[in-house]
Amino acid sequence: MGEVKEKKASKPDETSEEGIPGVITTTTSAISDLLKKTKVQDLINWGRKNSLWFMTQPMGCCGVEMIAMGCAHYDTDRFGIIPRNSPRQADVMLISGYVTKKYLPALKRLWEQMPSPKWVMCIGDCSISGGPFYESYSTVQNIDEIFPIDVFVPGCPPRPEAMLQGFVELQEKIKAKKDLGSEY
Amino acid sequence: MEEQLEPNEMIVHLGPQHPMQPGPFRLNLRLKGETVVDADIELGFIHKGIEKILENKTYLQGITIVDRICYLVALVNEECFVGCTEKLLGIKPPERSQYIRVILDELTRIQSHLLGMGEFGEFIGFVSMFMYAIREREEVLGLIDMVTGARVTHSYLKFGGVRDDLPDGFKEKALSVFNNLKKSVDDFEEMFHTDRIFRERTVGVGVLTADVAKNLGVSGPVLRATGVPFDIRKNEPYLVYKDLDFKVCTETAGDCFARVQVRINEIRESIYILEQCLDQIPGGPLFPEGTMYGRRTPVMRVPAGEVFHRVEDPRGEMGMYMISDGSDKPYRVKIRGPYYPTLQALPPLIIGTTVADVASISGSMDGCTSEADR
Amino acid sequence: MDVAEILKSLTDAFPEAISEATAESEIRAGSYVDKDKVKKVCQYLKDSLQFDHLCSVCGVDYIKRNELEVVYHIASYNHPVVLTLKARLPRENPEIESIVSVYWNANWYERETYELFGILFKNHPNLKSLVLPEDMLGEWPLRKDYEGFPNKTARNLV
Repeated sequence: MGEVKEKKASKPDETSEEGIPGVITTTTSAISDLLKKTKVQDLINWGRKNSLWFMTQPMGCCGVEMIAMGCAHYDTDRFGIIPRNSPRQADVMLISGYVTKKYLPALKRLWEQMPSPKWVMCIGDCSISGGPFYESYSTVQNIDEIFPIDVFVPGCPPRPEAMLQGFVELQEKIKAKKDLGSEY
Repeated sequence: MEEQLEPNEMIVHLGPQHPMQPGPFRLNLRLKGETVVDADIELGFIHKGIEKILENKTYLQGITIVDRICYLVALVNEECFVGCTEKLLGIKPPERSQYIRVILDELTRIQSHLLGMGEFGEFIGFVSMFMYAIREREEVLGLIDMVTGARVTHSYLKFGGVRDDLPDGFKEKALSVFNNLKKSVDDFEEMFHTDRIFRERTVGVGVLTADVAKNLGVSGPVLRATGVPFDIRKNEPYLVYKDLDFKVCTETAGDCFARVQVRINEIRESIYILEQCLDQIPGGPLFPEGTMYGRRTPVMRVPAGEVFHRVEDPRGEMGMYMISDGSDKPYRVKIRGPYYPTLQALPPLIIGTTVADVASISGSMDGCTSEADR
Repeated sequence: MDVAEILKSLTDAFPEAISEATAESEIRAGSYVDKDKVKKVCQYLKDSLQFDHLCSVCGVDYIKRNELEVVYHIASYNHPVVLTLKARLPRENPEIESIVSVYWNANWYERETYELFGILFKNHPNLKSLVLPEDMLGEWPLRKDYEGFPNKTARNLV
């Protein structure tokens, strides 16, 4: 905690570009080291993994199982996972289905609208490798060359219990600090 | 649509990802204040090219692909494809298989209508309707799961019959599920009729008359809510529908409330059909006697010819036009989905209404964008 | 009205445009139609014979005969007969009259046939691409000589 004291007070004749009145800048990475390399990061990860909010985006057949997963019988609310409609309020993007050439620019834009830290989960065979439509002229295969994907859930479509297992695996990954979504 | 905008007009894109849509399509609205002046639809965000893929697969592999045209009513899509091929082959499945197919078709109709009503509630903000409907739908999906082994995509039908017989204890479990379902459907109807906000948002909204509906080419519950009794199960009966007793449900008002009422009545008629089927189902073989169907037939050549077959989908009239040239792969398959003309008829209906009514009207059409795009 | 009366009435009204009219069963009939008279035949069917429901419009590629065909399926809300009309077009420059002014819901069917096969519909109010992305227009994917399918479009073949 001691190194934080090295701060540049705003001198009256200081005319750098960052000389905004009332702002103190440091040259060390002390605060960010505190947050990322000590046990504070474990605390932050515990908070993040227990409240993963996903964006509802039914794109294909796996979309209807995604809707069924969020409702009675296979409730996700007990894990802290609730659906949000807007990308600006969501943490996890579920690619549930095939991606076509016409939809890919819209998907990239949705991804950029999500604030970080953000994670992607691939559900179903179609997003992993093409699925039953692997030879179509209109689908895009191998999505993991475009997005940084953490968890793959295979199946055509996977049962809702398998998708819940996918979320639990993502939680384990965040706890072990091996996910691709947050910057370590 | 993008001509000179006046000072208080603007264009809004209800883009591919929106909470108000059953699947990705883009609805462009030109608004003057809150009133819609012009509307346009862009499709194709989940176009997979199924018709081209089917030309490269054998008929048996085609059953698995056809399942995925509309994932909510997979068994009815299989019924259409298998019905076309059986007409070209010239075979007819025995009675027990026909009754099993009718049972699965009607169970699919019940769960599709429940999901349609639930999603309509979710689009206009009535989320408790959505939760109740999905809970009842899970019971019906459990019945389908007992027979075919899967919840969404089945691959259960075969040429000349079905893959497996009904399991033991199916009839008792089904009758107990139907008893609970009848009480729940009565509860839903009371929920719709007595909720004041729901009535104000749906009664008198999106009115279609019979002549306009026929001109626009719609079919299914949307047409039956205007008073036209058009049902493929009565016009050209297929399977054993001519031996069963049921009536075609119609209403006369033509607005969103009438379409929901038609769907509730159809759930009750479907339960009545299912009770008759479970009573009347005969014993017997699953495949035609003395033929090779039912055993493993890896190479099956279909005689040359062409056929157009129609079935009654929960959303309307579904048809398939199949051309065969004598080999083991189809030459051309054209899929005519029921939601395609209904979606085309949406822009003329919403011109002149407010943005909040757009949600009501497009939700009451109960669509599945996947079969409009194929 | 039964199938025989319908076919007789149709062939009497258009003797030179309709050819090879056959009744396959009690509820199905089909015939070939001349490509310049399609709109008049459809107008007659809608006005006089109660065929007011257009089921679909699609295209078929017969590469061995060097022809494209446009197939219309027309049905009715009152009787169960479905009529199949086929029009033959040359493969190099396929053009046909649009029937949007007779049946309103033919709009999207014709747009899709245009972008998948390359058949031009004259006097169509809004002929642009519907299900394919804009930059794929001109490739006509559903023709039989579309190169690359299936081997070039699939990436994960073992």
